[in-house]
Amino acid sequence: MTNVLEVEDLCVRFAGLDALKDVSLTLAKGQILAVIGPNGAGKTTLFNAISGYVRPTSGQVRLAGENIAGASPHEIARHGIRRTFQNGGLFPALTVLENVLTGLHAQTSGSFLDVILGRSQALDSERAMIARARDLLSLMQMEKMADTPAADLSGGQQRIVEIIRTVASEPPILLLDEPAVGLSPLARDQMMQIIHRLAGETGTGILLIEHAVELVMAGADRILVMAAGQRIAEGTPEEIREDRAVLEAYLGHA
Amino acid sequence: MMPTSAQLRFRTILFWLVPALMLAVPMVVNPYVLFIINGILIFVLITLGFNFVIGNLGQLAFANTAFFGIGAYSSAIATTSLGLPWIATIPLAGLAGALGGFLASAAALRGIRLYYLAIITLAFGELMRWIYVHAKSITGGTDGLSMPRETLLGFSLTDDRVKFYIFLVLTVVLVKATLNLLRSHIGRSIMAVRENEVATASLGIPTSRIIVIAFMWSGFVVGCAGSLFALHTAYVFPESFGMLQLIVSFAMVIVGGLGSVLGSILGAVVLTALPEYLRSFPGMEELFFGLIVIAVLLLLPQGLASLLRRLSPIFIERYYRE
Amino acid sequence: MLLQLTISGLSQGAIYALVALSLTVVYRSTTIVNFGHGDFVMAGAFVSYVLTVMLGVAFLPAAVLAVIAMFLLGLCFSRGLIRPIRGGPHIGYALMCIAVGYVLRGIARIVWGREVLPMPSVFDMPPVFIGNLVITGDAMFIIGTTTVLLAIFFAILALTDIGKMVQAVYQSQRGAQLIGINVDRFNDMAWGVGAAMGAMGGILIAPVSLLHPDLGASFLIKGFAAMTLGGFGSLHGAVIGALLLGVSEQYAGAYINSALIDITAYLIIVFVLLVRPHGLFGHKTVVKV
Repeated sequence: MTNVLEVEDLCVRFAGLDALKDVSLTLAKGQILAVIGPNGAGKTTLFNAISGYVRPTSGQVRLAGENIAGASPHEIARHGIRRTFQNGGLFPALTVLENVLTGLHAQTSGSFLDVILGRSQALDSERAMIARARDLLSLMQMEKMADTPAADLSGGQQRIVEIIRTVASEPPILLLDEPAVGLSPLARDQMMQIIHRLAGETGTGILLIEHAVELVMAGADRILVMAAGQRIAEGTPEEIREDRAVLEAYLGHA
Repeated sequence: MMPTSAQLRFRTILFWLVPALMLAVPMVVNPYVLFIINGILIFVLITLGFNFVIGNLGQLAFANTAFFGIGAYSSAIATTSLGLPWIATIPLAGLAGALGGFLASAAALRGIRLYYLAIITLAFGELMRWIYVHAKSITGGTDGLSMPRETLLGFSLTDDRVKFYIFLVLTVVLVKATLNLLRSHIGRSIMAVRENEVATASLGIPTSRIIVIAFMWSGFVVGCAGSLFALHTAYVFPESFGMLQLIVSFAMVIVGGLGSVLGSILGAVVLTALPEYLRSFPGMEELFFGLIVIAVLLLLPQGLASLLRRLSPIFIERYYRE
Repeated sequence: MLLQLTISGLSQGAIYALVALSLTVVYRSTTIVNFGHGDFVMAGAFVSYVLTVMLGVAFLPAAVLAVIAMFLLGLCFSRGLIRPIRGGPHIGYALMCIAVGYVLRGIARIVWGREVLPMPSVFDMPPVFIGNLVITGDAMFIIGTTTVLLAIFFAILALTDIGKMVQAVYQSQRGAQLIGINVDRFNDMAWGVGAAMGAMGGILIAPVSLLHPDLGASFLIKGFAAMTLGGFGSLHGAVIGALLLGVSEQYAGAYINSALIDITAYLIIVFVLLVRPHGLFGHKTVVKV
């Protein structure tokens, strides 16, 4: 299996404190790697450092061999790492379709002048993107909601639309920050199915932060356990279940 | 409720029908009313440009009076000092306004947001006014500049009928261009920045460039309006670009509807036409605009455009084109 | 010369301090910047003018009445116009403040037209001569009164629970609610206090300068410049920023070009925001993802 993402000795220091210390990981095509750990373990900081929202103090983030650590968020997104946000990152006043279209911005051609003048290059590309967005929506059975403002969706629908928007550009790597938080058990299962389909059908490498341990144990290929900004274990769900260090540090068992 | 495709076709027809019917206006109204209508067209552009930054980009920037002044002075200086024909100074004024927009966006790009941005852009506008007053040799100081009398293809540019047709064409073109922009990937990104700037960057959208584009387009449209204003009043002086100008534009945006192109048009039409006769009473203009903004904020926060949207789905603005 | 300029700068700066501090009080309590504050300052001056010149009330009771009137106005503004639009976009607040400012300005202009009104001097104190330095009675009066007012203000914050409440609300409106602070009422009070303090500035400046309905606009900008320089949201920063602004205006006007007095504040705003956005005493804001 080829690695799509390699993180090596990533460090983030805030005001002299280690928010992230020497974290390394690899993600293969189509693999789901879950990141778990108690609050404050540095999971979201890891995501922010990979996706460019926090500047790593040292270490590398390699994408197909190219180090992109320290690039700005939109550059990293263009390189193919897309992410979702813990608190939801949809644009409430835009409709579902418009939201998904923003995910295709980089794929849409047409310069400022083409757009202003309504030239056919811009219009053709726009039409193609709309068709693609509608396809994606119907794939997820959301086509009826296309013209609904995102603010009017249920929590679960919002999470799904955010994922559709994030994967619309077919990124090789997806960072999902607690995609199932606040969802009903039914919606959570649905969410995990969607994540599995993405990994299985399109070969997207998925990095997943999730609090619900049982969900991760059932759904992830591998698990990375973090505490206090450091990696304390990594392995298959079975291995993690048996790992004494994990039990002590994270699950609180003696 | 979204508009059906038949309704969308009707909307397109309506969009072109209104200006087409307006071609007859100079033949049916008296000169005074025509003068007012010319003023309305200018205010449509000012509001359109202002609304673009505060409504669509969602940035509290007060630099539009600066753009307006820059546009008007560019036109006036280019005609009086450089001897260019007025019509050729419109794009110049637009570009000068866009340059002003670029400067204002530099503040936004330094991470200056919300109130800070409001304050720095307010300062920008006042600094420009200080320059108009003190750069006497080219701006004429407090006396200002008066526009030379010109003809265009044999038509006198002091004739309000001639002005009307030029203003109308330019207004239609800029409204259409703004709609094109909003209904594109660039326009959606501009609104995405308003909604959630952090998430916007995660989609590979260069937010800084988007902010610059939005400010520059706003500056361009308002700069063009300034050029029209110079011809409209035949006279450019610093007091036209002061604080009253600001509340007037604000009131138009709010009354029409934040972020709505239709709203910009409605706001400008309603608020230029109504207070015209208030001008002779000192203080009434301030009071009127103040009260109307308060009333709309409390009772109709989405402005007149939202009333129309409730009336018929053809007024719902969509930000894509199929 | 330098000392002379410094004194007139400090007396201007003292007024700016009241304006900047009152803006900061409202900002810290409600996170709203009152873009109509200049007109509140103007309104305070006008009320005291009406009382002293038109109704013949003595200066001190007139000033107290004007401050109370402006306190009530601020309170009503918060209750009647700010509360109903809460939860909407922040632009709404800014617009509401601007709109109310214009209403006040419009009323002042309807009553007084475009006239410029001279206010009688308050105390006919003779100027003091120290060497070749002249300190006018007005300057002494303004600096003295402001010093007392500021001392009272900071003493109240330091010695009572109000200071802690302000801090709690500034850090988190929700958190403050949880520990039993009635945030709604607190905000109303902050608006009242802010309007009253702004009015004090207007009342003090009116006798030295001329009174006109557009007076507020320039004070608003001076207040912003002082806040920006001192660090937005910092109380002592607002005062120090204001004094620095007052003095720099005088220096710039005397040593560089008298036309610069008008734009020193703007230049400070632009320069500080572009170079050091958090000012002298403010904190860097960190964007959370």
